[in-house]
Formats: sequence, C-alpha cells, structure tokens
Amino acid sequence: MKIDRRSFLSFVIGGAAGTALSPLPYKLTDDLSIWSQNWPWTPVPPDGEVSYVDSTCTLCPGGCGISVRKVDQRAVKVEGMKGHPINDGGLCLLGLSGLQLLYGPTRVRQPLQRMGRRGEGRWRAISWPEAISQVVAKMRELRSADNPHTVGCILESDRGTVPLLFDRFLTAYGSPNLIRTPSYQDSYELTLHVMHGVQAMAGFDLENATFVFSFGSGLIDGWGSPVRMFRAHAAWRQNNAKVIQVEPRLSNTAAKADHWIAIRPGTEAALALGMAHVIVKESLYRKEFVENNATGFSGWTDGKGQSHMGFKELVLAEYGPDKVAQITGVGADAIESLAREFARAERPLALCGRGRGMTPGSTGEFMAVHALNALVGNINRPGGIWALPEPDYVGWAELEMDDVASRGIQRGSIDGSGNSRYLFARSLLNRLPEILNAGKEYGLQMLMVHGANPCYTLPDSKTVNAAFGKIPFVVSFSSYMDETAKNSDLILPNHTYLERYEDVPAPAGLSKPFIGFTRPVVPPQFNTRHTGDVVIQLAKTMGGHIGRALPWGSYEECLKDTLKDKWRALTEEGFWHQPDFRPPAGAKAFETASQKFEFFATAIHAETKKDLDALPHYRPVEPEGDKSAYPLVLIPCDSMRLAAGFIGTPPFMIKTVEDTVLKGEQVLVEVNPETAKRLGLAEGKTAVLATPKGQITVKVHLFDGIMPDVVAMPRGLGHSAYDKYLAKKGANFNEVVGPVADPISGLDTAWGIRARLQRA
Amino acid sequence: MDAALIPKGVKRCPLNQFAIGIAIVGAVALWGVFAMLLVWIKGLNQTNMNDAYGFALWIWADLTVIALGGGAFFTGFLKYIVGKDELKNIINYAVLIGFICYSSALLILGIDIGQPLRGWFIFWHANVHSMLTEVAFCLTVYFGVLTIEFIPLILENRQIDRVPFFHNLSHNMHEIMAVFAATGAFLSFFHQGSLGGVPGVLFGRPFGFREGIFIWPWTFFLFTWSAAAVGPCFTILITKITEAVTGKKLVKPNVIDLLAKISGWMLLTYITAKIIDTWYWAAVTAPSKGFSLMDFYSGHPLYGIWILIAEILVCGVLPALILVSAKGRQNPGALLAAVILAVIGVCLNRWVMVLQVLAMPVLTFENWVMYFPSWQEVATTILPVAYGIILIALSYRYLPIFPQEQELNPVE
Amino acid sequence: MKEEGKGNNAKKFGMVIDLDKCTGCGSCMVACMAENNVPFKTDESNKLDSITWMRVYRLRNGKPFPSADICYLPRPCMHCGGVGDQGHSPCVSVCPATATDYSTETGIVSQIYTRCFGCRYCMAACPYHARYFNWWDPVWPDGMEKYLSPNVSARMRGVVEKCSFCFHRYQLAKDRAFVEGRREVKEEEYQTACTQACPAGAITFGDLNNPDHRVNQLVKPDRRHGGRPGNPHAFRLLERLQTNPKVYYISGRDWVRQAGDHYLKSEANRPGH
Ligand SMILES: Nc1nc2c(c(=O)[nH]1)N[C@H]1C(S)=C(S)[C@@H](COP(=O)(O)OP(=O)(O)OC[C@H]3O[C@@H](n4cnc5c(=O)[nH]c(N)nc54)[C@H](O)[C@@H]3O)O[C@H]1N2
Ligand SMILES: Nc1nc2c(c(=O)[nH]1)N[C@H]1C(S)=C(S)[C@@H](COP(=O)(O)OP(=O)(O)OC[C@H]3O[C@@H](n4cnc5c(=O)[nH]c(N)nc54)[C@H](O)[C@@H]3O)O[C@H]1N2
Ligand code: SF4
Ligand code: SF4
Ligand code: SF4
Ligand code: SF4
Ligand code: SF4
Ligand SMILES: [Mo]
Repeated sequence: MKIDRRSFLSFVIGGAAGTALSPLPYKLTDDLSIWSQNWPWTPVPPDGEVSYVDSTCTLCPGGCGISVRKVDQRAVKVEGMKGHPINDGGLCLLGLSGLQLLYGPTRVRQPLQRMGRRGEGRWRAISWPEAISQVVAKMRELRSADNPHTVGCILESDRGTVPLLFDRFLTAYGSPNLIRTPSYQDSYELTLHVMHGVQAMAGFDLENATFVFSFGSGLIDGWGSPVRMFRAHAAWRQNNAKVIQVEPRLSNTAAKADHWIAIRPGTEAALALGMAHVIVKESLYRKEFVENNATGFSGWTDGKGQSHMGFKELVLAEYGPDKVAQITGVGADAIESLAREFARAERPLALCGRGRGMTPGSTGEFMAVHALNALVGNINRPGGIWALPEPDYVGWAELEMDDVASRGIQRGSIDGSGNSRYLFARSLLNRLPEILNAGKEYGLQMLMVHGANPCYTLPDSKTVNAAFGKIPFVVSFSSYMDETAKNSDLILPNHTYLERYEDVPAPAGLSKPFIGFTRPVVPPQFNTRHTGDVVIQLAKTMGGHIGRALPWGSYEECLKDTLKDKWRALTEEGFWHQPDFRPPAGAKAFETASQKFEFFATAIHAETKKDLDALPHYRPVEPEGDKSAYPLVLIPCDSMRLAAGFIGTPPFMIKTVEDTVLKGEQVLVEVNPETAKRLGLAEGKTAVLATPKGQITVKVHLFDGIMPDVVAMPRGLGHSAYDKYLAKKGANFNEVVGPVADPISGLDTAWGIRARLQRA
Repeated sequence: MDAALIPKGVKRCPLNQFAIGIAIVGAVALWGVFAMLLVWIKGLNQTNMNDAYGFALWIWADLTVIALGGGAFFTGFLKYIVGKDELKNIINYAVLIGFICYSSALLILGIDIGQPLRGWFIFWHANVHSMLTEVAFCLTVYFGVLTIEFIPLILENRQIDRVPFFHNLSHNMHEIMAVFAATGAFLSFFHQGSLGGVPGVLFGRPFGFREGIFIWPWTFFLFTWSAAAVGPCFTILITKITEAVTGKKLVKPNVIDLLAKISGWMLLTYITAKIIDTWYWAAVTAPSKGFSLMDFYSGHPLYGIWILIAEILVCGVLPALILVSAKGRQNPGALLAAVILAVIGVCLNRWVMVLQVLAMPVLTFENWVMYFPSWQEVATTILPVAYGIILIALSYRYLPIFPQEQELNPVE
Repeated sequence: MKEEGKGNNAKKFGMVIDLDKCTGCGSCMVACMAENNVPFKTDESNKLDSITWMRVYRLRNGKPFPSADICYLPRPCMHCGGVGDQGHSPCVSVCPATATDYSTETGIVSQIYTRCFGCRYCMAACPYHARYFNWWDPVWPDGMEKYLSPNVSARMRGVVEKCSFCFHRYQLAKDRAFVEGRREVKEEEYQTACTQACPAGAITFGDLNNPDHRVNQLVKPDRRHGGRPGNPHAFRLLERLQTNPKVYYISGRDWVRQAGDHYLKSEANRPGH
C-alpha cells in the first residue's frame, strides 16, 4: 500500500475524529472527576429543618447562655445566646467546641464495671439496675459496719440541686465528706467571712470600675466568668478605664493591661501592703469609710487589757516602699505612684486569685488585696467588690437522721475542713491525698466523683494516684472517659449538659445573683442517666430515712419542686437574675461582732491568738525545694486555649494551641532568653525540667515576656485519658508541683515550685 | 540477538550487557513508580510539602526539565527557521531530550496536583488570566508537537522502516517537519515564558514578583531566554555524557562548536538582561514594597546572598564568557565546565524562583520556612531521570539518532 | 471575575478587627471551624498543615524583659480586591481552573471545592497564608460527623479551602429577605460566625460601601484610593503590595501598626514616625 500526502492526512484526521466521536474516553474522564467530587468516604451532612434551643454552658463556672443550632435532631453548632446578661452572643472557644464533647469519642456510652487492673481500660458494660445495686450493696455494707463516714464524694461545686442532692444523700447516709474542688473563690469566701463576717461569694462590679488593679489574676486568661471578663475588658477599653496587671510573666492580661508590673512570683501581698503603706502615710484613704465602717485600722487595747497592733501600724512599720521594692522587685517609685493613682481613682478595684484562679491562695494575701479595697472604701459600691449572698433557692425540708448517720457526721471531715484546725475552710481537697497516704485519719472505703477530675487536676499527681489506690471502691459519674473515670471501679455516666435539665447557680465573680439553666438540646445519645436521678434512686434503694430524705420520683420533679416560681423564668428565658440587685451598704454590710469591716480579723485571732495572722500580711510562701539544687522557679500559666479543669480540651481547641506551647507530643516551657543562654538552651531544644516533685521532658520556648530565672509551663496538657486528640500531648503541670497548705485556712497556696532545667 | 533491530553500520554492546544496564536503571524507575502510585492512592500527604510550600521539589523539577528541554525548540528553531543546517546532526538528540523532558514534566504535573482526576479542569474551566493555564495549554500542545517530531525517528528503525506504510509516513512527516518545528518554537517561546510568568505575576510575593510589559512580567522573557540559552548546553552535556558512556565520538566538533557558540551568546545576552532585571528589582520594585535587597537574602543561611552570586556570576557570566570565546569552547575541559555551570545556573534560577519565593515570609510576623523533600518526592523526581536514561539507551541502540556516528566510528 | 453588579448597590463586604480589644482568646478560630465543618487531625501542632481559615497570630515587639509586648492578630482571608477592586486578587488571578473567583457583587472571594484540582498555585500567590490544602482525607471520629452543618460542604482530600466570609450566611439572609419581600439584607442579618462569637466584640463585619454600616464608620475607607483607611489608627496588612484587602485592623500601638507592612529603615512613612 502506498501512502501519499492525501491518504496520510485522511488517516490522521479520520483517526482523530473517530476517537473524538467515541463517547468512551470522555464519559470515563467525566465520570472519574464526578466520582472524585463525591467520594463516599467524605461525609455529606444531611439537610433538614433548622431550629435553635437556648440553654446554658456548664463547661466552666462562667454560666454563659448558649443557642444551639439544630438540623432535625442533630445539634450542629453552639452559639452564644444573644441578649444573655453574661455573654450576649459571645462565647469562648470551649463553649463553641461543645458538640465535640457531645458527639465525641470520649463519651462513656453506658454504665461500665472495671474488669482488669485499675486504669487498664478493660470494662464490662452493665445495666443500670446492676450498677445501682452494686453501689447500694457497698454502701449498705459500710453502713452496717458503722462506717458511713468512710464514703467520700468529690464535686466540682457544692451549689445547685445536684450537689445538694449528693449532700443530702450523704448526710442522711452518715458521711461528712462532701468535698468540693477548690479555687480562688474559696479564698475570697474566707476573706469575706473573716473581714465582713458574712457567708458570701465575692462579686466584682468590673464593668463600672475605672481603675482595675489585678494582682496576678488572668482577667482575660480564664479568670472568673471568662466571656463576661472579655466583655468587661472591651468595656474598659471603650471607657478608658485603666488596668494594671502585676505578674512575673507577660500574660495576655498583662499585654492588654495599660501597665504590666513585672513582680517576683509570690510577693504580690507585699506589694499590696506597700501600696497600703503609701496610702496610709499620705492619708489618701477614704476616711469616711475607714473611720465609720471599719475596725482594726489602728491599734487598740482589748477588754483584757491586752494591746493589739492595727493595720496602720503594721503597714507603716513593715511595708515601706524601699523594703517592699526589695521583696517584690518593683521599684519604690513605681509603688508610690501606683498607690497614689489607685487611691485617687474614681472607682478603683483591687483583685487577686492567680491566673485562671484554679488554686486558692494565702489568707494574708487575699486579705492584703482586700484591705486595699477597704482603704478606698470601694466595698459593696458601684465599681467595687461586692459580697454576694449565696443562692438560697434550695429550701428542702429538714432532714431526718438515724443514729448511724449522726455518729458518722460527728466523726468530722477527713480533710480537716471545718474542724478546729482549719475552721474556716469549707473543704480541703488538696489535703486529702496526703491524709489518705499517711493513713492517720480514718481513711475512705468508697469515693464518688461527680463533675470533677481530681486524678488530673490535683497537684502532685504521684501522691494523688497513690491515695486513690488506697480507696477500695471508686465510682465515677463522668460523661467522659477522663483520668478519674479511667481509674475508677464503676462508671455511672451522666448525660452531658446538652442532654439534661439542671440549674447552674452563681457563675464565678458575677456581681448580681444569677441562675442559669440547662435543658436537653438533643435526646440522650447513649445509655446514660442524669446523675440527679441516679442519686435519688440510690437513696430510694437504700430505703428508710435515706429514701425519705430524697422523696422525689425523678430529678425533673425535684427540680420543678425546688425552683418553684423560678422554673418558668428558667425554662422560658434560660436564666433567672436580679439586674437591680444592690448589696447592703454601710453598717448593714458587715456582720462581724463589731458590725464593721475588720482590718483586724477577730475571728482569726480567736483561733490562732496571733495578731499577725489576723491582719493582712505578707508571709513568704517559699516554694518547695532547695535553692542550690533547683535554682529556678517554675510557675504555671493559663490560657483560654487549653481547658485545665475537669473538662478535657476538645479537638477544635487543641487546634488553636500555638506551636510555641505544644509541638508534637511535647510541651514547651517559657524561658527568658538570658536564662536560656546561661543554661545553654536554644529555641525548640529539648530539656529536662526537674522539681522536687518529679521530672518531665519539655522543649524550650524563648520568651522575652518572662522574668529571668522563672520558667512558665502551660496548664491543661499531659492528659493520659480521653481520646487521641488530647491524650499524650505534653505533660501535666501537676506532675511537677505540690500543694502548700496555708497555715490559717489549710487551702493550697502554692504558686509555683523550685525547678532545674537542663539540656536533655 | 537483536542485531536485526540495530541500525546498519554501527556497533552496539552485547544484548545481555545492555539488558543488565536497563534492569538496574529500571529498578530505580520502578521505585519511582511505586512512589508515584503511593502519591496517587494516598494523596499528597506522602510529600513533605505543606501550606507554606504548596510548590516544592516537583514544580522546581518541572520548571527545570522544561528549561533544559529547551534545547529541542531552540535547536529546531535554529535549524528549521534560521537555517543552521549543520545542526541536523544533533537535532534528533535534541528532540529526544526534549521529548523526555516534556513528558517528564507532564508526568510530574500529573502527580503534583491534589485531584489528578480533575486535571483536565484546567482546560475545561480555563482561566485565561492564569499563567498556569497558559503553561498547561502550551505544554500539552508542544508535547504533541515533540511527539510528532519524535515519531519519524522511531520510524527510522531498520525493521519498522521496512514496512512501506511506515516508510512513507516517515517520509511525509519529514517533509512537513519544518511546520511543526516552527509551531513548536512558537509555542515554546510562550510556555517557557509563561513558566517564568508563574512566579513573576505573584504580586503578593515580592521575591518572585517582577514588573513587565502588558500582562507579561520580565521573568516571562527571562525564562524563555534562559531556556534557549541553556537548553542547547544541556543537549551538549548529554551528548558528551553519551559519548563518554559509549566511548565514541557521536557528533562532530564543528556542530558542537556552533551550538556552543550560539548558546554562549544567548547566555551572555541573557545574563546581561538578568543583571539589569535584578538591579531594577532590587533598586525599584522591592523598595516600593518596603524591601531592601538584603531583606531577601538574610533570613536563612541557605538563602544568603551567595545564591545570587552563584547564579549570576559563577553560573551565568563565567560560562557565557567561556562559550563566546572560541578558545574557551574549543578547550574540551572548559567547554564541559561551561555547559555544566550553565545547567547548574538555570537549575538554581528555577530553584530560587520557586522555593525561595515560598521560603521567604511576606507577613512581617512570620518566619522563614525550610523544606526537605520526602523520599516519595525524591523517588518520583528521579523517576523521569531513570526513564530518560532508558529511553535514550533504547533510542541510541535501535535508532539512528546520531547521523554522524557511522562516519566517526567506521565498523571495520 | 463576575462583571455583574457594577451598579450602585454593589456591596463590598469587609471586616474591621480592633487589635486593642482582641484578647487572643481563639473563639473566632473555633467558631469558624464549627461553622464551616473544618476537619481536624490527631496532631495539629504543625501549623503548616493545620487548616485554620481564621488564624490568630501572636505578634511580639521584639524588646527584652520587661519591655516585651505581645499583640494578637486574627487573620481570616482578606478577600483581596486587587488594584481598583477589579477582582485581580493575588489568588483569583492565578487559579487556572477558575475554582476561586471574585464577586464584584459582594467583594467576596469564593472557593469552589469541587472544581479545584489542587494545583496550589493560589497558595503560592497568597501572601497572607490564608489558603489551606487538604493534605489528608477529612475524618471525623465515629459519631462526630453528626455535628456537621449542611450549609457548608465537607471538603475532600486534595483541594484548597479558605475563609468564605461565611458566604452561606449571606445566602440564607438573602433568602429570608426575599421571603419577606425585601431586596436588601440588613447589617445585622449577615454577620460572620467569627464576628458573632468574638467575646470581646473585637470584630466588626459589614458592607464597606455602606456609610450606615459600622465597618465603614470605623475605618472610613477612601474609595478613590483603593479603600485606604481614613482612620489613622486603622491599617491593612501588606497595604503596599496593592492586594487591596477587605480586612482592616485598628490599633493605637505604633509597633503593631508597623508590623502590618514592610518599611525600609530609611523610610519616614512608618507608623509612629
Ligand atoms: N435561596 C437561594 N437558593 C439558591 C441560591 C441562592 O443564592 N439562594 N443559589 C443557587 C445556586 S447558584 C446554586 S449552585 C444552588 C446550589 O444549591 P445546592 O446544590 O443545594 O448546593 P449546596 O447547598 O452548596 O450543596 C448541596 C449539598 O451537597 C453537599 N455536598 C458538598 N460537597 C459534596 C460532594 O462532594 N459530594 C456530594 N455528593 N455532596 C456534596 C452539601 O453538603 C450539600 O448538602 O443553589 C441555588 N439556589
Ligand atoms: N461559602 C460559599 N461560597 C459560595 C457558595 C457556597 O455555597 N458557599 N456557592 C458558590 C456558587 S455555586 C455560586 S453560583 C456563587 C454565587 O455567588 P454570587 O455570584 O455572588 O451570586 P449571588 O450571591 O446569588 O448574587 C447574585 C446577585 O445578582 C443580583 N441579581 C439578581 N437578579 C439580577 C438581574 O436580573 N440583573 C442583575 N444585574 N443582577 C441581578 C442579586 O441582587 C444578587 O446580588 O457563590 C459561590 N460561593
Ligand atoms: S466561658 Fe465557660 S461557660 Fe462560657 S462558654 Fe466558655 S466554657 Fe462555657
Ligand atoms: S474571638 Fe475576638 S478576642 Fe478572641 S481572638 Fe478572635 S478576635 Fe480576638
Ligand atoms: S487573602 Fe489570600 S486567599 Fe484571600 S483573597 Fe487575598 S490572596 Fe486570596
Ligand atoms: S489549588 Fe484549586 S483554587 Fe487553587 S489555583 Fe489550583 S485549582 Fe485554583
Ligand atoms: S468570616 Fe466565616 S469563614 Fe471567614 S474566618 Fe470568619 S467564620 Fe471563618
Ligand atoms: Mo451556583
């Protein structure tokens, strides 16, 4: 065959046309791309009817209102409730991540009984009746041996119907050991108790303050009700209010403050007293308040002829600016000008509670800061600190007790709170581990944990784990497989806050009475049960006077019955509040023996018999450890991006954590470049961080915002439970720190610990 | 055994020796194919690219092989359009190298995209403003042209040529080859240019961005020019390597010399333009955006000013001077050094125009980011090299690639 | 680059972020993830492959203790208009498949996931690192896909995604307006998820062309000069590149405003000079 140009061209063109006309290649190409647009393994969210359900976020003590968007029966987004008094539409990132908890892999899906060793993670699914009968059997056994006091219960809070159901159940059963998780609020309550003579919560009228002086409180790092604090911060910016942050580290709060005063860690009380010195010396205090509504300002002689030192004499003698400058590292000039500015401000407000406020603090320090408010008379006044009555809407009938119960209660609490040693403390969870390990007190045979994760959040993890090992029967009510649940013997999972009714009283730091309310946004996703119902059922099954103590048929019935007229407001608006509340002013504000504010707390003096204890004072809380072996000081740092309480950080939040905080599986600690240079450490280098409590491997992040010789470590990492998005990332600060009990209150005052950092 | 396939009048090594060689290179190619399949099946997470390095080793390899493959279009341009007839003695090899380079580039592009099955959207939903659209169109069409230029060569195989159909086809194709060569040269001017446009239009990336005329940034012209200059150098280099491997002279020195001389002048003019461009960029463009020259070269030791000196002086001016001087290019050592430097120069240029553009942060609060390719990226980048070696080996063995081979190596 | 909507009612949606109010809390990041079905992986500490349409940067002033200062800067997509707001955005102009487009109607830079073929040229073009590639298949732990919103499709592996200014919310708002017989969407009807969630009220969103909208009042954009802010405390990131972003920042701190762009040491036009 001979090919000429003509047949060549027709061959080429014909071939091309033939291929082009055949649909096969085109169809295939098109189909493949369509397939790539519809990969069956990429989910397609189903559409449906959209609705919103208003409720309350309970993931921290902030009490924010939420509006949950639903598509048919699925919750698809948590948003802030518009017009809500606390957050008005805004929401923190934990609240926004709520659905990852609801639908997350860490949910406990049914009652579980431990199979293998504790913490091994082998479980047997059991039925609710079986679970409840196991608990009841154990409780009956202890009670019949006359040991009801050996049942303990750890709760997040002791307010609201569910904690009070636990309280009532335990009391009728015969145990005095209802223990709440401590925070700076405990220290404030104690301060108000001894200086005001009231049982009250500290409220802060922050929005109206014109000069905010924070002694290390992470005002925008999670302190108080976080979203409310952000809004207050924005209001300060808008109104040109001044904010001073005193802290050894440039936290977000410090960076956003008008002035950041870098101070040696743990010396805040000295600074407060130094300022008091200047205010007193220069007569800048509000005489009207100090003279008419306060006692203990000047020294006096009591009925027995014994003379006592007054606040004035103490600060004038002991806290001159030069001396305070030496203690704190803050210049004497700065102390003087800060004091003057504070005293002259229209509505100054001093506050404390370090970082997010997860640890209480020393009594002397809280009293010292509070005394500043007293000097400027800004107590129970606009822009000041308010003593807020505790919620009193739960008014249940008097309890019946039997002999066993009365005997049990009389044994006194195991942690020493409320007894003669630590009269003022409501509970002292921080002391519990050591007491259990020492075996001196009576010990616990059974522990219930609800809304708390002590195995993670308590300082000195090693001691805590050993103590838990000494309790034969641990019951967790957690909705999530957290560290405590993982190390328990039985899990009776609660509904999450998005699946249940519950009152959420008294968000942290609010200046007005407030009750939030959660309601089921979606039906329970798993075979969980409301803890309120479980407690009622436990009581019923125990029977007798214990059953009669909790007479309701269900938790919902109990709640309606308890809230009475508030039920409607709560179900309709999602919250109940008293916007026009004003705290009692003048003499009515104080219920001390003198009916006045006490610079000299006679209640403390009655206990310890020492003048100095009764006065605001600075007594160095030396961090544990030997200075030569541990030349540095380790402090924790809190950030909104990490949940550090009983709720684990959900995946969305972990995503926002910077790579200067967490890199791969390692946590980074902040070190001043100067210190790092001396230690031969560079950015991102691995190092060993050792304290008297333990040692961990970390990476180094150089930060000019941290004081030389101080190391800061983020709180909220180092989980061993939960899911792969959270577990095994970084280290838990509590592994390397221990509690230091305040000599007066027994509360934990540790603000840090001595440490050593070495190249790994 | 395969003697019947081997062109007349030339000597080739024994088949088993050849087969062993091919097997070794083939193993490397298989490794590359394995990596390629991994990337296609598991996705681009098999690479060490990231959101800062959306472009990395592969795009560099793409730009580079296309620049090096530029020998094909430029030699074609010189032979068919300018009429430098001596170049017929090297044009086959230039076309083969070009074919290898362009097919490799397309293969790499096919691996480099996140949704290979939708790769054709670039044609279907084409955005005419995008340099990449221009690249895709020209590249694909030019690859077609190269294929057409390569086919007659295949048809010249002794056995194929016996078939009258193929013989005539080959003859006909040869006759119209000038048309394709011209088309190819035209297309190449554009896609080489549009590859230059890829970084040049990035007005959000001051390191890459260049001003220009109309829609074309200066890099558009610089890339074309440098490809035209260095492509022939690469052809010379590969020819020299082939000569070394086969132990034979394959192309007469006058042919090499002519190509080297043209290349030298191209390189000299290119590097002059490049110097002017760099000066204008450093003195006018960058400062208008708040950058000084040293801001670009003091962020990371890898991207110090040395890289600019290396690219322009050591790998640009120096080889250009060698190649334009008759003495220089007639000294075998100097010639070899010059073509190697020129090739390195264009590799460096494409590297900085892709990688340094991305390494350098634009936001003042971001840091320089470094990148190291994963083995999958390396393997898939070596794959074309292995494939190229195999194709060259096969072509050399079975096709009359070098018209002067018989004359230069008479078989007694 | 759509040509419709050149008329008077063309909108130019934009954002103003007050960096003095921003606390760096990260709510905007999470609000965005939750609103837009952004996936997550086991390890998100490599920020170079972590998808965050909104990313909060932490800026440092570079001074030693105790003069150190930090500032947070949230960075969504800037929805760059390019010179003269003609839609010559760095990314739109380079996308070979028109998978990302500029709407002259809204000023929003869209991203069509099903058309994107993953060449990542747009990422190389964007100086703000606002674009993210899906290096992995998105995987939600068993059961968690329940919270995915039908308003925004989940993206498959191999495509690029970025902040959309919550475009679906605009569509929903327009639907609502249409049902109620209105042509215009009110300022409060179209707000992005990040704006809504920001507890500090640091983000303001609206139509920059509309003098009644707060964004316009806050920055007073100069339409004749490419939208340059009239407020001396307002600035845009990399203004000098002429990307013409629609996200403005406000700060009273000189060093923060200076961090927004590059300046030669010799230049006198630096903020605070
Ligand atoms: N009211 C109102 N109506 C409109 C418009 C408007 O502006 N307002 N716009 C109109 C226009 S222009 C359009 S294009 C249409 C769009 O309308 P639709 O086609 O409804 O588009 P979407 O709602 O974006 O996506 C539809 C569904 O596809 C899912 N999906 C996303 N990606 C994939 C995938 O890869 N595979 C599969 N199988 N599913 C996927 C999404 O999750 C969603 O459930 O709406 C039109 N209707
Ligand atoms: N996040 C996100 N982004 C998306 C999408 C998504 O689902 N999510 N969808 C994408 C898709 S599929 C599309 S099509 C685009 C749509 O994005 P756009 O192109 O912005 O479309 P619309 O928002 O519907 O705007 C159309 C405009 O045309 C105006 N108009 C109506 N009738 C007329 C008329 O007769 N003449 C003129 N001149 N104007 C008229 C309307 O007022 C309206 O403002 O968005 C894309 N972007
Ligand atoms: S601040 Fe607390 S209560 Fe408010 S949204 Fe966040 S976690 Fe929930
Ligand atoms: S939510 Fe608001 S305050 Fe928080 S980081 Fe984002 S912009 Fe800043
Ligand atoms: S910020 Fe980046 S992604 Fe967004 S429009 Fe500008 S260039 Fe495009
Ligand atoms: S990655 Fe997608 S959106 Fe980006 S340029 Fe390529 S095709 Fe366009
Ligand atoms: S505007 Fe919408 S998409 Fe953009 S960052 Fe905010 S929430 Fe995300
Ligand atoms: Mo559409």
